Amino acid sequence: MASISARRLSKELSEIRSEGCPVGINLVQADDFATWLFTIEVMGESLYQGEVHTLQFRFDTSYPISSPAVQFVVTDGKQAPVHPHVYSNGHICASILGNEWSPVLSVVAVCVTLQSMLASCKKKERPVDNDRYVRNAPDNPKKTRFHYDDDTV
Amino acid sequence: MNTRVPTVNDLRVKLCYICREEEHFDSAPQGPPKEWTHPCKCTLVAHESCLLKWIQTSQGDSSRAANALKCPQCGAQYELESDRPVVYRVIGAGNRLLQKAGRLFTLMSAVGAVVVFGSGVYILLTAYGAWAVKQLMGNEMFDLLLTDDPANWPWTAFFNLPSLTLSLILSRFQSIQQIPTLIPILLVWPPSTPIGAHSRLLDDYWTRPSDARTLALNSLPSLTSWPPSPFVFGLFLVPITRAIYRRFFAKLQHWVLGSTPLTSRRSNGLNLQLGDVGPFFLRIRVQDAQRPAEQVPAPAGGNEPADVAPEDLDPVAAAEQLIEIDSASFGRRVGGALLIPAISSVMGSFLFRLSKRSQLLRNILGVRPPLRGLLPPAFGLTLGAHDWEKLSFIKQLGMAFRLVLNATWNGTRTWAAADPVWWRNSLGLGIFVVAKDCIQLLHLWLAKRELETRRVKTRDFEGIDIKELDLIPSFVRNLA
Repeated sequence: MASISARRLSKELSEIRSEGCPVGINLVQADDFATWLFTIEVMGESLYQGEVHTLQFRFDTSYPISSPAVQFVVTDGKQAPVHPHVYSNGHICASILGNEWSPVLSVVAVCVTLQSMLASCKKKERPVDNDRYVRNAPDNPKKTRFHYDDDTV
Repeated sequence: MNTRVPTVNDLRVKLCYICREEEHFDSAPQGPPKEWTHPCKCTLVAHESCLLKWIQTSQGDSSRAANALKCPQCGAQYELESDRPVVYRVIGAGNRLLQKAGRLFTLMSAVGAVVVFGSGVYILLTAYGAWAVKQLMGNEMFDLLLTDDPANWPWTAFFNLPSLTLSLILSRFQSIQQIPTLIPILLVWPPSTPIGAHSRLLDDYWTRPSDARTLALNSLPSLTSWPPSPFVFGLFLVPITRAIYRRFFAKLQHWVLGSTPLTSRRSNGLNLQLGDVGPFFLRIRVQDAQRPAEQVPAPAGGNEPADVAPEDLDPVAAAEQLIEIDSASFGRRVGGALLIPAISSVMGSFLFRLSKRSQLLRNILGVRPPLRGLLPPAFGLTLGAHDWEKLSFIKQLGMAFRLVLNATWNGTRTWAAADPVWWRNSLGLGIFVVAKDCIQLLHLWLAKRELETRRVKTRDFEGIDIKELDLIPSFVRNLA
């Protein structure tokens, strides 16, 4: 019997395949239940017009009890968007990926939330402690304990 | 006419918001049937087992614990029903109280350390060490060994006392196997000769022939005297007893809980505990997660992680995690360690008071009347230099050997003749440790039982428009 995480992810996958992703979000790769890739772009007027970024989801076997590890891909010439909550190594400081994760959320819901996080951005800049963080950052962003000090973005 | 408010069992399709499995009312579910629950005020429903797992996992993570019992959609509080006897709640409350005291202690010691830094720290450590010795040995022996006036102290005391304090604190930050507990350090005290006024008094006493004769009668106590000397006790009895006790207690734990708790499995306590030093890490934005269990296993392609069963937190580990959120703090750890001498003193005088009613206990404790200032010298050597020369070389050798052996097993005369306050205090501390371990075990067992008996309280769909719900045909028919 497949694990709960595999069964839930296969459901999410078949929903994506039958109903499609929301506008601006595209599934690139979901060959297994460990790593999925999406492209994400902000539609309409925004600071990120014309930019396409790649989002990587990594799941462990406790998904959806434990949150997925989500980050922007920064290899193969891809880049993370310049945003006050996105570090240059692709790690994202967003509470729904940490202490506000809930199993009621889904992969698509996370994509949509991150899309709107970009859309509402007023100034393109890196987080203040970007250099320090990137130097010491663990490979998996879930191992970082972020402080969600700014609830407005 | 159906006037009843629909419940989760009246839904045509139940969709668990956690695992996303569906169950139709008219088709048997795959596998064993699962309980469904509607715990909140909106339309979300879930398998009870999924929801309990989510609640349990969230409660085990201090950053998410606040949201563990809240519906992510409507924000209603989940209500849990479980077996929580009064004892469990009392112990839990006590645990939280100690936690608060520990935090206060952290704050106060932080302030204190800044104020008395440098030499102040040294004085503090030394004074604490002297106090600890006094607590553990009793006033009489303290007066023999150290006295209240530091001018009388042997030079070793200025090294031993502060290091005693440090070792007490450090003992809390090492794994159980390596604890250099205070007792060996306290008791392998250099065989101090009496100091100060006492020693002069003693010399006078000793030179009077009549008194010397009375002492000489029992100058060499037999090797089997009770209690054993501090040396034997600290170096052999304590480590052996502790090892046996640990093994026995681990067996007991295993028997009571059905598995071995994490704290007993940890090989290196320090790593984990550093993460608990909450207040000092506040300013650091980035910190490695403490529990490697959260790591995402990222197997290479071909290795299908989907086939791996989800790792269930076993109930003991989960219960432990719940309790530890309340109990792991720096202040509580160190404060607790520094209270050990006082605790042992209190327990010792308690035993002493009990011993007034029981001859057996009095024998076990080896209670002796106080010396009132008169005591034999460190070594019970009653031979004058003149006598010594009369003995043959073999006899001299034999005598010397007996003296050394005697001093090892019985301690110096100073130790052997004085009322062994240290002995009853150490026994008392032992009893305290056992009692404390038992309470902890009881707490853990109750916490585990609380987890196992948990149920989420299910509600009906009152307040929700019936049209929003996808109800089974028979319910709708009754409604019409």
